[in-house]
Amino acid sequence: MEGFDPFLTIAVGLLLIIGTLLVYAGTRSWYASVGLDPQYYVKRHIFNILIGAILAFGTTIIDYRLLRAYTPIVWGLGVLGLIAVLLPGISTEINGAKAWISLPGGFQVQPAELAKISIIIGLSMILSERTHDSNQPTHRDVLQGLLIAAIPIALILLQPDMGTVLIISASVVTIIAVSGASSRWVAGLLIVAVVGGFTAVKVGVVSDYQLKRLQSFVDPTVDPQSSGYQLRQSRITIGSGGIVGKGLFKGPQTNGRFVPEQQTDFIFTVAGEELGFLGSGLILALFFTIFMRGFRIARRSQDIFGRLVATGVIAWFAFQAFENIGMAMGLMPMTGVPLPFMSYGGSSMFANLIGIGLLQNVHARQRG
Amino acid sequence: MGNFSLARERIRWLIAVIMVVLMLFAFRLVDIQAVQAQTYSLKAANEMSRTTIMPAARGAITDVNGVEFARSVAAVNVVVDQTLIKDPIKAAEIAAPILQMSPADVQALITGKHLWKMVARDVSPAQWSALTAAFAHYNDGLDRTNLSKKIFGFFAERVYTREYPSGSLIASLIGFVNQEGVGATGLEASKNSIISGVDGKYMYAYGYGAQIPGSQQELITARTGTTIRLSVDRDIQWVASQAILQAVKSAHALSGTVIVMDPKTGEILAHATAPTFDPNNTKNVSLLAMKNPSVQDVYEPGSTGKVMTLAAAIQEGTVTPTSVFTVPYGLKVSTTTFHDHQKHATQRLTTSGILAVSSNTGAIQVGATLKNSVLYDYLRKFGVGSNTGSGLAGESDGVLPAVSTWSGTTAPTVAFGQGYSLTAMQATSIFATIANNGVRVSPTVIAGTSDSNGLFTPAVKRSSVQVVSPETAMKMRLMMESVVSANGTAPEAAIAGYRVAGKTGTAMRVDDTCHCYKGYTASFIGFAPADQPKYVVSVTIQAPQGIHWGGTLGAPVFKKVMSFVLQSRHVAPTYTKVTPYPLTEAQVQKAKN
Repeated sequence: MEGFDPFLTIAVGLLLIIGTLLVYAGTRSWYASVGLDPQYYVKRHIFNILIGAILAFGTTIIDYRLLRAYTPIVWGLGVLGLIAVLLPGISTEINGAKAWISLPGGFQVQPAELAKISIIIGLSMILSERTHDSNQPTHRDVLQGLLIAAIPIALILLQPDMGTVLIISASVVTIIAVSGASSRWVAGLLIVAVVGGFTAVKVGVVSDYQLKRLQSFVDPTVDPQSSGYQLRQSRITIGSGGIVGKGLFKGPQTNGRFVPEQQTDFIFTVAGEELGFLGSGLILALFFTIFMRGFRIARRSQDIFGRLVATGVIAWFAFQAFENIGMAMGLMPMTGVPLPFMSYGGSSMFANLIGIGLLQNVHARQRG
Repeated sequence: MGNFSLARERIRWLIAVIMVVLMLFAFRLVDIQAVQAQTYSLKAANEMSRTTIMPAARGAITDVNGVEFARSVAAVNVVVDQTLIKDPIKAAEIAAPILQMSPADVQALITGKHLWKMVARDVSPAQWSALTAAFAHYNDGLDRTNLSKKIFGFFAERVYTREYPSGSLIASLIGFVNQEGVGATGLEASKNSIISGVDGKYMYAYGYGAQIPGSQQELITARTGTTIRLSVDRDIQWVASQAILQAVKSAHALSGTVIVMDPKTGEILAHATAPTFDPNNTKNVSLLAMKNPSVQDVYEPGSTGKVMTLAAAIQEGTVTPTSVFTVPYGLKVSTTTFHDHQKHATQRLTTSGILAVSSNTGAIQVGATLKNSVLYDYLRKFGVGSNTGSGLAGESDGVLPAVSTWSGTTAPTVAFGQGYSLTAMQATSIFATIANNGVRVSPTVIAGTSDSNGLFTPAVKRSSVQVVSPETAMKMRLMMESVVSANGTAPEAAIAGYRVAGKTGTAMRVDDTCHCYKGYTASFIGFAPADQPKYVVSVTIQAPQGIHWGGTLGAPVFKKVMSFVLQSRHVAPTYTKVTPYPLTEAQVQKAKN
């Protein structure tokens, strides 16, 4: 039995530290200017990290193989949360989506973030159980797995939260691919994902708000005051940082809050402006490290379940990071997902760190 | 195990995809942050930088000792970005009492989609601090879940507001500034170009509806306007103002003016008008009250005009102060019979006597010794028909018909001071000319100017013109002392211990509404000490009801003001006895014997 992967721990730790500084940089002058505590966000952010770290450590304690026994409970809780968030009186609507449950004490929970873990574990369990003597999951296994994934995905679509749906879909396709399912399944699901995305826009499953965001990706002049403005400002802010950046806390665009949501969805712009190419390049390198260490853990996993969970988690992190950073740089449509380990937001931070806990759990119990 | 190898192969594919995406991102980063960094930096700077006007303070207007009559005080215009106000009802509730407005009014102004809307003008900096403190207090008290209810979107625009610490004391002379900060009347208007400074410009970075702290950069420094130091003495102004207000009130007159002038320099020491207004609150002031009657109202001078007729005749040598005339009550010239003010038996009066009792028929005879053109030229030299150059807003030229248009009755009419009109300023200047040995000095209210650095520049010497000889002026002064004697029309103007000279005026007044003669202009203009005049005080009262004699109405005001001027300027009484010119033929003969 091995301990934790130190490279993974260090890479995540560095991202958490940089993220904390960026959250502070993105909120201090704004809060100070309206006469509020400039450390309001950063204090809560650090609190979230501490809670997340405890959850992550907790995740590593129980052998993941035993975790399989609790899979139905984990999955069921995830679905319950997603149903609750749709009920009036419980949910809080932010930016046109019913994604939040308000808790006493001013805390809010985003069930979709935690549902990611439920889906990854549920799907991995279905696809790692072998009811027959075969290396490949049968069509029936794949269909079962898809059903397990489809229920929470449908609930998230109702919120609607397209960004999370895309990330979960990427993770689901990855798990199915790595489970050894036939290439036809993999190719077919990829096609479904692409076509599904298009039809969603065409048929109108996507709300006006989301459509506006997607359109503004194509034509930033559609609505200069909102989505297009955000994308344009985002690029300008990153670009104005140059090679070495304007210096931490010294970015005029950041201090002026030209990019809204810069402590959450657009935190990469703060890195771009204040830390420059050196800082944002370092962030890309740290994510690359996390992904490579994650795949190493997956490859070296003793069993299929561990491998699928590890690849599922990595696919989730990777797609979410790509979606977020790509959006900030104008390479991806705007969907509004947080940057793992860096963006402000409790639910996302808890889910990310639980994900890391799962990776370390698999790593700790792999073959020597 | 086949499954393992398939899984590993697919993981390798995944790694390949991730590496490709990461490389794409790295290229894009290089593109944005290195290749296009300049362009984006420029865009960022353009997006953020705003330039705005830094308003310049207007220069002050002070009295001769530097006491401020008008000053600019830093103030704040409260404006809002309506799109940032999430809770207009609460915001209005907090702001209204501080801005002294009704919550409904505030709410209406802050609700909407305008990025800029004026809420309250000329709010004191203290009120603005109170407002921001109240919002901060409210925001601090908000539950964390209610952060979207935070109130912000109120901004301050730095401006200056005009204050007039003396209130109505000298309002008609100083005037006031309009809402845009531009002089509307008085000196504020006529000297607006020098009083108003040069606005500065500064650049700042703008973000999230506010200036980014520390980003302000001055492009052009605002230059405070020039401060004008008046020749007016606040203490004398106060006495003059009180005196004329009281006189106008008790005579139920339309308006009144007192001007105190130094005849040597043309400097005006006081300029009081009634009725007046408070320049700090001009909302309900009529346009009439904002007028400056001393230079904007013209009237026929009446008896004070006789001074010019007599001075001209003496200067031309056609009469002497002791020439004797037969003075009847009525005198027919051309088609008209002219009368004196009061019925009297035909008298034998000297030129001095004619002036002392203010006889119209006598003045007509003195005037008749001159050719029309000569009389006309003297009036012109005394300044009738052209403005005095005082530089006060809206100064009138007065009206003097060209000599070529004079009919047979014009010359006699003009000789006793009717048939032409002038301003109180022009009338004062005529007497100042006699007081200043025949030299007419253009009047002014400005002693000098101070630039924004406080460097004082005295006003340039006023232009002057010799109208009559010093001897003529001296004779006129001695004659005018008789007016103030017990035998004259204005014994009320006498001041114990000082030699005082002057002339009453009771003229028929042309009413603006009917353009006919209706009511009177009562005046008294005099100077002291009569042998070496230092100060001229003119009192003009328009359309008094009831008693309308210049001696009765004007002389007491003159006495009140002149007494104070002499005392405050430390002019010692001389108690000299003078031998006046004989006023009647009898006195002439008595003097000979």
